[in-house]
This record gives sequence, C-alpha cells and structure tokens, in this order.
Amino acid sequence: MEDTFGEDDYFGEDEHIPAHEVLQTLEDAWLNEKFCPDLLPSQDSYVEAMMEQIQQMEDNLTKLKKTDFRVEVHHMELARIRYIITSYLRTRIEKIEQNTAFILEQETTRSPENPHLSEGELNYAREFLALQENHQKQLVLKHVPPPFQDFMSTQQSLVPNLRSHIFLRAKKDVNGVVIEGDRDTRDEEVDLEENSQHIMQYKPIANLIHDGSVQLI
Amino acid sequence: MDPSEVEFIAEKELVSIVPNFTNSEVHLISGDVGPFRAGLPVNVPIWMALNLRQRQKCRIIAPDWLDVEKLEALKEEEKSNRFFTKMPSEHYMVVAQLLLSAVDDDIPRVEEIRMAVKDLWDVRISKLRSSVDTFIKTGGSHARLDYLTTMEINSVRPLLPHALDFIDRLQKASEGASRRDMASQD
Amino acid sequence: MSLCQSYVPNYFSIQDILATQEKVPCKFEMQVKHLGFLDPGSDKRDIEIGTSIELPLWMASVLNSQRPSIAEVGLPKIFKEAYRDIMKADPCVVDLHKLAQYFYEFGMCLCMLKHRESSEISSVLVESFKQRFRQILDWAQHSTIEVPESKKLDETEKMIYHMGREVGSSLYLWLTEGGSLITAADMVIQHKKMKLTQKDLLH
Repeated sequence: MEDTFGEDDYFGEDEHIPAHEVLQTLEDAWLNEKFCPDLLPSQDSYVEAMMEQIQQMEDNLTKLKKTDFRVEVHHMELARIRYIITSYLRTRIEKIEQNTAFILEQETTRSPENPHLSEGELNYAREFLALQENHQKQLVLKHVPPPFQDFMSTQQSLVPNLRSHIFLRAKKDVNGVVIEGDRDTRDEEVDLEENSQHIMQYKPIANLIHDGSVQLI
Repeated sequence: MDPSEVEFIAEKELVSIVPNFTNSEVHLISGDVGPFRAGLPVNVPIWMALNLRQRQKCRIIAPDWLDVEKLEALKEEEKSNRFFTKMPSEHYMVVAQLLLSAVDDDIPRVEEIRMAVKDLWDVRISKLRSSVDTFIKTGGSHARLDYLTTMEINSVRPLLPHALDFIDRLQKASEGASRRDMASQD
Repeated sequence: MSLCQSYVPNYFSIQDILATQEKVPCKFEMQVKHLGFLDPGSDKRDIEIGTSIELPLWMASVLNSQRPSIAEVGLPKIFKEAYRDIMKADPCVVDLHKLAQYFYEFGMCLCMLKHRESSEISSVLVESFKQRFRQILDWAQHSTIEVPESKKLDETEKMIYHMGREVGSSLYLWLTEGGSLITAADMVIQHKKMKLTQKDLLH
C-alpha cells in the first residue's frame, strides 16, 4: 500500500509551508523559549498548524492495520512532536505566571500586529493576575492600613532579568554586537561568526533572536 | 535542561541500520525515511533505529567514529589542543550511550569503546571546568565556546550563567558607589 | 522542568528580607523624639544626637536617605578594613556561614547606600566570589553527596551550589544508568483517566 501520510503540506493562510519546516520552526522556538529570560513572540499559528497535522496523521493511522510497522513509528514521531509543543507552551505559561503584571503591561505597549501572547495566553494572564490580586487582597491587603493596600506596587518588582547570561549559536555572521563593559573594562564590540557558539548577556542579542540570526542553546 | 531532554534532541541524528524487512518510504512529518530493503543499509533517526532494533527488525551499524583507535586519537588531540576540538558528532556522548547500550552484539569491543568515549568525555569536561574557572576569575561576560557539544554545555548550566549573573549584580552594585567616589574627589 | 532564572532580589524574596534584616551601626545626627526604646542600653524617651544604635539595614537606609539625613550609617564589623583584609588574603578558607550568612546580598545593599568605603567593599565582594567559585564548581560536580565544607558557604553561594549539585547528580545518573525516560506528569495521567471514565459514564 502506498504510504501517502505526511505528504500533505501545510497550507498556512496564503503560504505553503512544508510540514517539516513548521516542525523545525517549532523546535527552534521551543529551545529559544526555554533559555530566554524574556517571553518571546508566540508561535501559535505554527502550533495550531502542527496540531492539525498531528490530528490528520492520527486519523489516517486508524485506517492502517495495527500490525503495520509504520503505525508504531508514526505514533512515536507524533509523541515526540507533542512533547515539544507541550514543553513549549508550559515554559511560556511559567513565565507568564511569574511576571504576569509586567508581561501584560508590555503587551499593551505593542502594536496589534505584533502580539507576544496568543489569545489564550492573554486571557489566562488576565485571569491569573485577577486571581492573584483577589487572593492577596483577601489574605493580606484588606487587613493592612490604607496607604499600603495597593496590589500593583508589590507586582512591580517581578520582572525578567534581561542581563542574564545565555548560550547561543550564531546562525549567520553577525557583526557589531556590543558587550557592556564593567567598572574596570570598556564596552567591547564582537562579531559572531556563523556557527560559532557563545555565552553572553541576553540584552545585546535580544533582537537577533527575533530575526533568526541566533539560536539559544 | 535535563539530560534526558538533551538525549531527546540528539535522537534526531541519523544512524545507519540494516533492516530485515522490505517496505516503501515512510513519510514522517520531519522528513522521508527509507525505502527499506532487507539487507541493505539505510539511514534513519536514532529514535527510530532504537525502536526497530528493540522489535528485532534491524541491525544497527556503528558510525565509523565509534571505534577504539579513532576515539583514542581524538582524546590525544584534545589533550594537546588548547581549545576544544571538533567532535565527529554534535552529540557524540549521547549517541555513544544510546547505541552502545542497545546493541551489544551488533558492535564488537563494546566495553573498550565505552571506556574510550568516557575517557574522551572526561578530558573535555575537565578542560571545560578549568576554562570556566579561568573565565570567571579573569572577569568579562562573554566567551566563545566553539565545538562544545550540547551535553557538555549543559553540564555547566545553570552554574556558569548564574555565577556570571551574580558577578554582574555585584559589579552593578558597586558602579553606583564608584560614580559617587569619583564625584567626591572634585 | 521549571525555569532556571538566577536569583534576583524581589519583593517576595525571603532571602532579601533576611539579608536586609542584618544590623548596621547608625549614628544619629539629629534628635528623634519618642524612639528611645530602639536603644536597648538607654532608658531615655528620646534618641539624642550622637547616639549610636544597631539597626536593621532596611530601617537604616530609610533614615540615611532623608535629606537632611537622620542617621549616618557605619560599617558592620565584617566589612571593616580588618575583615576585608582577611577576605583579600584567602577568601577560600573563610567560613561565611559563621561570619556573615548574607555576606554578598548584605554587602550589595550597603554599597547601594553609597557609603564612603563602598568601592572597597564591592571589590572584596567580587574578588571573593570569583575565588570561591572554583570550590563551588568542584563540589557541585564531583560529589553525589553533599560536601560538609559546603556548610561554610554564604546563602547565595549555597543556592548556586545546590543548583549545581542537582544538575551534577542528574548528569551522573544519566552517565551511569543511561538516564530516565521523559514521562507524563502524574496529573496528566490522572486527568486522562478521568476523561476516559467520564466518557464511559455518558454511554
């Protein structure tokens, strides 16, 4: 029997992106998200596309005989892909839960074409913040003197540390990354050769993740 | 990152197997594999190779670098090189662990190979630890780590980044003070 | 697999609360009425000018930041020159747990108060940590059991050490036992079971 599963490419909006590219994008996004102190733009369109692909595959697989060796192999691959997606989403939720107020505030400053949170995440973040606020008010804040009852002042301090150090690989040549000096050294400018690996602060290379020049490892 | 996650990533690497069955190409989402012809070698991802081997549907062929003499040569090169040498595989340690434990009868001299890989790993890890110590002591917040594999980088995570973050915080605390000292000297 | 962010003091951080609880000598530059009870050795109602009282850092920094400043913040013993010289001589042998549990965090807060000797203090902090780090690195990666000398670490060093040990152990396990499988969390398995049972109930 001809194996036609997986030959269907994903038609994303007007674009025709092959399934393996969608998968690669998700894998890269997963690793970037894992190691980045900040919350990166959501890849939810890719996530949805891949979930559809997985569903399609699973439906197709039910048509095959259980003893067909391909069944187990396909299921294994699907389990692997599901793991990447769930780990990706879980990492994002953890960040949202940790820095809720900051992330929501940042989101309001962004243009609607460039959201960092998916719709689901945005709703979750708002609900979570409301729950936290209510919890703190009931437990503590309503019992303290009025000048100190402001919930938001406690939330101000929970922000991601953009000065954290991260490991990265340069996917192409990048010139002129400025490394901040300290009290004893001056600022330094470095070039990142394609395929070289580095450890450095997140801040100077933050924009390079967005344009795909570097990959966090 | 947990070592099992590094393993997960490494399992995507291709390895050569000899299937004992025949089948047309399999169209995985990550790409096509096969076709499979009994007795003829074909490349598949390691996760698949391990599964097929477990189901006794194939024999795994060790990559040619997984050889005692070659590994010992690499070890010597590593010892004499100031920097890190390029490894034959981005995930040499994981591939060795996975393949050697799954396939004792497919690969001859398994124990010797295992020792040779471990020796190479130990040399590199020890070099990494010294480099990390030197890096921290000499200051600076940027370093190049070419040819270090994922599992090796993972061994100093989050220790190294956290130490660097901490030193950064310690120095920032002082910067406020220095500026004030300089101003008071006027 | 949870996020592995390095420690940064924040509003809710217990470390930070304890570190800022450490005491510093405060010399009052003006009279403060009705707070004489803060001085355990005095039975006066007010604090007189020139009185020196040991107060927690969080209170000292508020008193110091008023203009004109209410009290001048002195250096606690461990950051004075004599002890700084001890740290400079051989940072690795000092028992920070005994001397100053929150050595670094406390030191950083002091620097931010912009004391006269802040830059010397910060040098000591940076240099000490850089030297002591090698030990932490070795202890974390070498042993599967907790090294007794690690009890001499300050609290921040301990956090880094424990983090390193956890990673070291899981790597050691992976190397020796071939590692574990990535498994579904118990909660997910329970949830799936519940869903299946609910489906059955609907039929």
